[in-house]
Order: sequence, then C-alpha cells, then structure tokens
Amino acid sequence: MDNKYFEKMLSKMDKDLSAQGMSRREAMKLAGISGAGLFMGGATSASAEEEKIVKSNAKGKIVIVGGGLAGMSTAARLTLNLDNPDITVIEPQDLSVSYQPGQTLVGAGIWDEDDIAYERDNFVPNGVKVIKEKAILFNPQENKLTTDKGTVVSYDYLIIATGLQLDFERIKGLEEAGRAYSAGDNERLLKALGDDGICSIYTAKGATKTWEQMQKYIAQAKSGKKTKFVFTHPSTPIKCGGAPKKIMYLANARLKEEGARENAELTFYPNGGAMFGVPEYHDAILGQFKREGFKWHYRHNLIEVDKEKKIAVFDAKWQEKGPWDPVMKDFEVIPKHEKVRVPYDFLHVVPPQIAPREIAESDLGSAKGWVPVNKETLQHIRYENVFSLGDVAQVPMGKTGGSVRKQYKVLVDNLISLMKGKKLEAKYAGYTVCPLITDIGTVMLAEFDWTVKPTPSFPLDPTVERWVFWLMKVYALKPMTMYGMLSGRA
Amino acid sequence: MHLNFELVTYDEELDKFELDNNKYQIEINDEEAKTYELLKSSDMSLYNWLKESDFFKKYMKREVCQDSESKKFAISDINGTSFIRFYFFKVTSGDSHYEYFKKLFNIHDESEWQDREDVGEEILQHLSTKRKELILELG
Repeated sequence: MDNKYFEKMLSKMDKDLSAQGMSRREAMKLAGISGAGLFMGGATSASAEEEKIVKSNAKGKIVIVGGGLAGMSTAARLTLNLDNPDITVIEPQDLSVSYQPGQTLVGAGIWDEDDIAYERDNFVPNGVKVIKEKAILFNPQENKLTTDKGTVVSYDYLIIATGLQLDFERIKGLEEAGRAYSAGDNERLLKALGDDGICSIYTAKGATKTWEQMQKYIAQAKSGKKTKFVFTHPSTPIKCGGAPKKIMYLANARLKEEGARENAELTFYPNGGAMFGVPEYHDAILGQFKREGFKWHYRHNLIEVDKEKKIAVFDAKWQEKGPWDPVMKDFEVIPKHEKVRVPYDFLHVVPPQIAPREIAESDLGSAKGWVPVNKETLQHIRYENVFSLGDVAQVPMGKTGGSVRKQYKVLVDNLISLMKGKKLEAKYAGYTVCPLITDIGTVMLAEFDWTVKPTPSFPLDPTVERWVFWLMKVYALKPMTMYGMLSGRA
Repeated sequence: MHLNFELVTYDEELDKFELDNNKYQIEINDEEAKTYELLKSSDMSLYNWLKESDFFKKYMKREVCQDSESKKFAISDINGTSFIRFYFFKVTSGDSHYEYFKKLFNIHDESEWQDREDVGEEILQHLSTKRKELILELG
C-alpha cells in the first residue's frame, strides 16, 4: 500500500471538498456510501471489500498471458487463494498495469501521463514468475505456447488476458499508424496522427497529445474563428464505451472555461443507432447532448481521414423499406450506405478494436477473433483448462475495468473448482460500469448488466449527473483499482 | 380435435429449405388435445412435442414420406403457429423477426456500435444449428 499516494490524494480531495463547503464525511453521506473506506482515509486494499479467504490446496501450473489489470489482478487473487501457487505471467510491456480509465482525464488536461503510468514490476505478487516476452503461438492441444523469443511454456491451466488491439490501420489515411496497444511505445501511431488536429485518448501517449491538440483548437475558437470538433465511435466493440463521449464532454467543459464555446461546434458520429445500450442511460445522455448544444449523427462509421484537406469520411448507413416477402409475410428492410465527407478542425478518433492477431489466428480465438468463453463461467468453450477475461474475452458486455473487477473473482473461483475436479459454480452476471464524465465536476455513474437495466450500487437515481461521483472517479477509483484489484482483494 | 400443419422440404445438398404447398390434417385424441392446449402458447415446446409424437411420426411415414422417401422435412406451421422464419430468415428480413430471434437466442444487441447486419449474421449462425434440430427424423 502506497500511503504517500493516499495522503496526497486525500489532501487534494479535501481541498476540492472544502471549496464546495463540504467535509469528507458529508460527501460520503451524500453518495450513500456508508462505510466506504475509500472516501474516509482508512482506505486499504482490503477495506474496500473485506472478505475471508480460505486457501485451497489445489495444484497445477497456471500460465496467464497478459499482465494488464485483468491478468495481474487474477494472478494476485490466485496467490491469495492457493496454498502453493505456481503462476507465470507472460507480459512484454513494462507499463502494462497503467491506469487506462485515467486516459480521458489526461486527454482533458486534468491529470498528467505520470498520474496513470504504473510499472508492472511493482505489482507482481510474491512468488509469481514474469516472462517479459510476448506469447505468439498457442498449441492448446498440447498445453503449450511459444513466445516471440522462442521460449516454449507449458501449462496445466491457461488464462488469456491479453487485452485488445487498436486497429488504426483499418482507417484509410491512418494506415501507417498500424495496430497499437494502449500502453507502450506508440511513436509510429503518434507520427501517423500528425500534429494537425487528429488525436485519440485510446493510448496513454495519445491522451497527452489529445490535450495538446485540444488546447490548440480551443485557442482557435477563442480567437473568434468557428472551429469544428468531431468525435467518433467505431463499428466494433470498444473498451470503455463511454470514453468517446467523455472526451467530448470534457472538450465542451474546457471550451466553456475559456469562454470559447460559442465559436465551437461539437458533433458526435457514432456507428450505432443509440447513445447507450441501456435505454435509461440513452435517454439521459440525449438530454445532456441537447442541453449542451451538441450535434450528433447516428450510424456513421469513420473509414477515412484526408489529413491534408482535414476531411473525415464516414460510411453512413440507413435502412429503407424493401419489397414484400410473401414467405416471411413481412416487408424486407434494405440496408443502404453512402460516404459522407465531414470537414473538421479537431478530430478525436476512436479506432476499431480487435483481438490481437496471435489470438485471433490461433485455435483459441473465435471467427471474430475474441476468445470464446462461456459468458458466465469464463471457461473456454472448447478447451476446459483455458479461461479468459477482460477485453479479449468474447463476453457480450462492457470491455471495462469495472467488468474485470467482477470477472476475475469468478474466474479464480471457477479455476480452483476445476483444479479440484468440482463443478464450476461461480457466475459472471454481466455487470459493468461506466462513470460517464459529463463535465469537469460531474459524472453519471452508468452501471448495468445483461438485463440491460440500470443496476445502481448506490441508493440514488443513476441517470442523474453528480459531483460526488466525479470525486469517486477522480479520487477513489484509481486507488481501488491499483491497490485493491491488483492486490486481488477489491 | 384436428391438428392442421404445413411442412417445408429440406435439400441436404444445397442446405436449403423449400415450401411444401400441401396442407395436412391429423385427428388427435383427447389426451393429445390436452397436451396441445398446454403447449400451444410456447412455439418451440409445441414443435418439439409434435416432432416427437408417435401419432405424428406414423402419419408422416404413412401419408407424406411414402412417395418421397429421400426427402427431408421440417414443420412450418402448426394450427397457425408459424415456424417459417426459422427456414427463410435473411439479413434483410423485417424487424419483428430480428426481435424474435434476439430473444430466442439470447443475443445481446450492443446498440452503441452493432448494426443490423451484424446482428443478422449472428442470428444466421445460431439458425444453422437450430435448423438441423428442427428437421424431422423419421428413420
């Protein structure tokens, strides 16, 4: 536990609270978070969700591919739950556990890149071996894999937690960017995006660049020039479905702060036909969009960027009533497409997101690339000694840290059951959470599961934007993640 | 009580269904009628019951398959409950069919990014398995 971090965090939070004339206890009361140690300074990794752990004597060599939040939290929890753990994590990136949910805040200049950069080696549980290589070949029939350095690793149980890749190369004009991971050296990507208004918060360095570009075009708007801010959402599953909108809200907040909002036009181009999959949150967001004077065009997928002319090209889709189908006794629906060219000054790109190639092309991947698992037990549908969680798992809801927080406990329980020859009884219910930042100082905490209904953890209307959730997002969620989840407890 | 039903034929080589334009009728006894009444509101239960019923199998062998031994069949309608969409669904089919199959196959439609074609493809994947279950085994 990093006490200095907590002292610094609490002192910053108290300053914010006192500016609002409120104590920490009052803030907690307002949130309805009785006993939430995270807000009260008594925050320890265990206090967030204290539980008794009975160690199991189950045995077996466990290999975890991917040492990000999902992989390392799982390693930590297995270490807590097993008498004699034999765990190896394969992860080449030094900063693999960096706090990705903070990239939105970096993109708006609220945090620095340093605030989210965390070294993997500081979060390796005792006894866990780390191979700093990349797994590239999988042979699940023989329970073996091979790394890029030629190391062959055998296992009894395999956990796939590689995360996903950002597929910028699918966008014409950005092909040079290639595929990227959120952390790591993304020089190639940054070079391809250039320095003329294109940015993306989906990498840590890209988030810093987003803030640079945002300031530049806020200044342009402030100078009196009409400035077009364009925000996209692609046609693939993405990590943190709220992030494309969060950065838009924050750009709006920064424009207002600078008194430049009236010269800015903010437009959202999502591929889908709704703001959010849960109707209650969709309605709330639509209300916020109207209130803030945003524009939006559904069913637009970014396919090309003309960097010289500063034009974003979208594949716009709509449907027309087709001919009567006498067999099905219904009118057909004919999908139509056309290219739409949109001039921009500032373009925030959310790239298409895919499973890493080595997973997609292996026997472990599905036709779409993701690792096909039973959505409740997280066990692979073909290989019973293989599990997956996090962004790479083919689970039909929420590629977020909030999802991982529920998944890793289910996975560990089920893996230990399997090791003991017992039935897999733990079930993931599809819970995920999106703290949707709607302004600097307000957050709508969108929580839901497979029922596609709001599932609020607090006794408050979940569709209302609240300052107290902003405090939680900015001050509490990071320590809960970095010191709670990554110690296998929260 | 009478049960009216309709069939589709299945071409194994082409993996394709075709309408059989005949209409069939079977007389069922009181006990079977009670079962029908219990199951009629649940289309898949109704289908499976009829598919597995001895009286139905006998009727099919005697009246339908006699002249078309090589053909395979599936039921397309039972007393007005239609199963046509199982055999002829396509990506451009109307919205009501999407909604039906999304519910039946427990497909979570992520409306933030997923478009209709994508969901349609997923339905077709599920249907490729389901259709095989629906084909009558009369051997």
